[in-house]
Amino acid sequence: MEILYQPLDGRSRGYYALLTVLLAFVAAGFAATFYLVVHGLHNSGMTNRIPWGLQIVMAIFYIGLSAGSLVVSGLYGIFGKLEYKPFARLAAFLAMLFLVAGLLSIVTDQGRIDRVFVEPFSHVNPSSMFSINPALYMGHIMICIFYLWALFKEKGRLTKVASVVVVLWALCVHTGTGAIFAFTPRELYNTALLPPSFVAAALSSGAALMIIVLTSLFRVTKRHLDMALVIWLGRLLAVFIVVALYVILIENAHRFYQIESREATTYYLFKGYHAWLFWGGLIGVGSVVPAVLLFRRRTGTSVRWIVFASALVVVGVVCERYLIVLPGLEYPPELLPGMEIVRSALDEGIVAYVISPLEILQALGVLSLIGFIFVLGLKYLPLLPTEARAHGESQMLKHLIAEAKAESAEKATGSSV
Amino acid sequence: MDRRKFLKTGGRFLAATPFACDLLVASVASASGPGAGRWGMVIDLRRCPEGCDACVKACRRENNVAEHGDPRWDVHWIRQVEIRPHGQEDAPTRTVPLLCNHCERPPCAQVCPVRATYQRDDGIVIVDHHRCIGCRYCLIACPYNARFFNYRENEAWPNKDYPKRSHGVAESCHLCAHRLDQGRLPACMEACRDAGAGAIVVGDLDNPESEISRLIAANSVKRIREDLGTGPKVHYIGL
Repeated sequence: MEILYQPLDGRSRGYYALLTVLLAFVAAGFAATFYLVVHGLHNSGMTNRIPWGLQIVMAIFYIGLSAGSLVVSGLYGIFGKLEYKPFARLAAFLAMLFLVAGLLSIVTDQGRIDRVFVEPFSHVNPSSMFSINPALYMGHIMICIFYLWALFKEKGRLTKVASVVVVLWALCVHTGTGAIFAFTPRELYNTALLPPSFVAAALSSGAALMIIVLTSLFRVTKRHLDMALVIWLGRLLAVFIVVALYVILIENAHRFYQIESREATTYYLFKGYHAWLFWGGLIGVGSVVPAVLLFRRRTGTSVRWIVFASALVVVGVVCERYLIVLPGLEYPPELLPGMEIVRSALDEGIVAYVISPLEILQALGVLSLIGFIFVLGLKYLPLLPTEARAHGESQMLKHLIAEAKAESAEKATGSSV
Repeated sequence: MDRRKFLKTGGRFLAATPFACDLLVASVASASGPGAGRWGMVIDLRRCPEGCDACVKACRRENNVAEHGDPRWDVHWIRQVEIRPHGQEDAPTRTVPLLCNHCERPPCAQVCPVRATYQRDDGIVIVDHHRCIGCRYCLIACPYNARFFNYRENEAWPNKDYPKRSHGVAESCHLCAHRLDQGRLPACMEACRDAGAGAIVVGDLDNPESEISRLIAANSVKRIREDLGTGPKVHYIGL
């Protein structure tokens, strides 16, 4: 079956309004970054004890999001699921953009942005994750561009090869990103399970975002999207959630069990505002609720509920990314075991991080910039298919939908009697 | 290629392999810091007078270290902390100066993406502040909270012989490398002597005849978080 691609017309008032709004946010983000560069990074929420803040949280969030897009894209390229081919171009394009967003977030967070484009290339340090990762990220962007080109030119064999390469490369990208934290000797960072849990959360957040983007894009542009395709993606998402949840639970059970890290883990899990982020945001809203919604037959076969569950997953992964970066900084390293520090010129105890408005503007600016490129891409590149129809396996899901409908109809009549 | 030529080339290649491996190991070792420790410090807390902060002040003056009056962004190359045994509120407190430990295997240099933080051959861990991009990864990696970032512009420039600290870069104690290279003593050690305490001694750890080596041999010394395996080179007597 041939897939036809028809870019957006892009001449409506809404289209231009969207571009204008996005551009305004980009300008605001640029202004915020400029202010921080000129007046100093102390205008952000960061301090001596909290050297990384929202920008790093968003960087690893964006980078994680790119994984899911590639999975959706790989469904066709690697697993040969032809019915998902209509999404392959969109997904590859988004994967590339999210990596750009991740890099931008990191670049705009540096103390000396003027040196970022020179020194990391002229003085590579192979033992630094911050030296290895940019190479992985840029490689990823380039492979995505190549992959996209293969998709545009409909090169069947090359597409398959490229999609395998890009997925393997993405695995390195996410492992490397997790390793930025996992390989440093900080109590709440130093865990070998962090890279795999990063990959797991990347898959679930990315798949969730793809569901949201695809359903809303097809709806807004009034193109046909078979429910069965979304339902199957929802099932996939549910599996990713369970895997991510499993890794996160093991990670924390392990460090809670270890006597030397119990105090830090107690702080992480039960004290302070981030205990809410962990139990409420990540576990409750971000994992358990969406998993239940997706596994239940009635809600798991309704596109509306699947999109809702996906949004919850994205929120949960934002919490997870925040929890990777900040509690480990807020909790002090043990300088003098057995001693407590009563007085010091530096805040030696547990310190709090407060996100500043400038950092929020920066984060929105980065997101808007890739949003802007994405919206332009929809108009100028052959990304959007005219329709996406289910055939093959996900066709089988149709009977599930029918059953669920029959069930709810039964209930409705039962209750009216 | 005939057999003779093949064997010859192969033999050469085999002979070169150990050297290539050596080179690889050496480059990896130098990236994570070799054990070429020489300069070290002893702080004899028994000789540290109560209420004295001569070392802290001297360091700030000598190295133009930034102080803005806000603990969130003040930079401390050496700082004093008051400690007491955990959970013993009536116990008397003691003052301990904390600074960069010039680790034999410095985690800060290991994570620096641009090799702006590196270890000199004499063991001093130093930052090239013209190369640092300000990523702050070293602040994350240092287990001693000994590294600081210049969040804001520093107007103070008391010592015109030493560069003003520029904003947007990370830094920490460099053991007054600029003075040691001229055969002078580090500012903190000099100030400590001038104050009549003589608690701080910087010297050559490799030379068994040096004052520092004799102090270490004669006393029970402690290094902070030795268990981490970083090989800290600041030794405390009476901690």
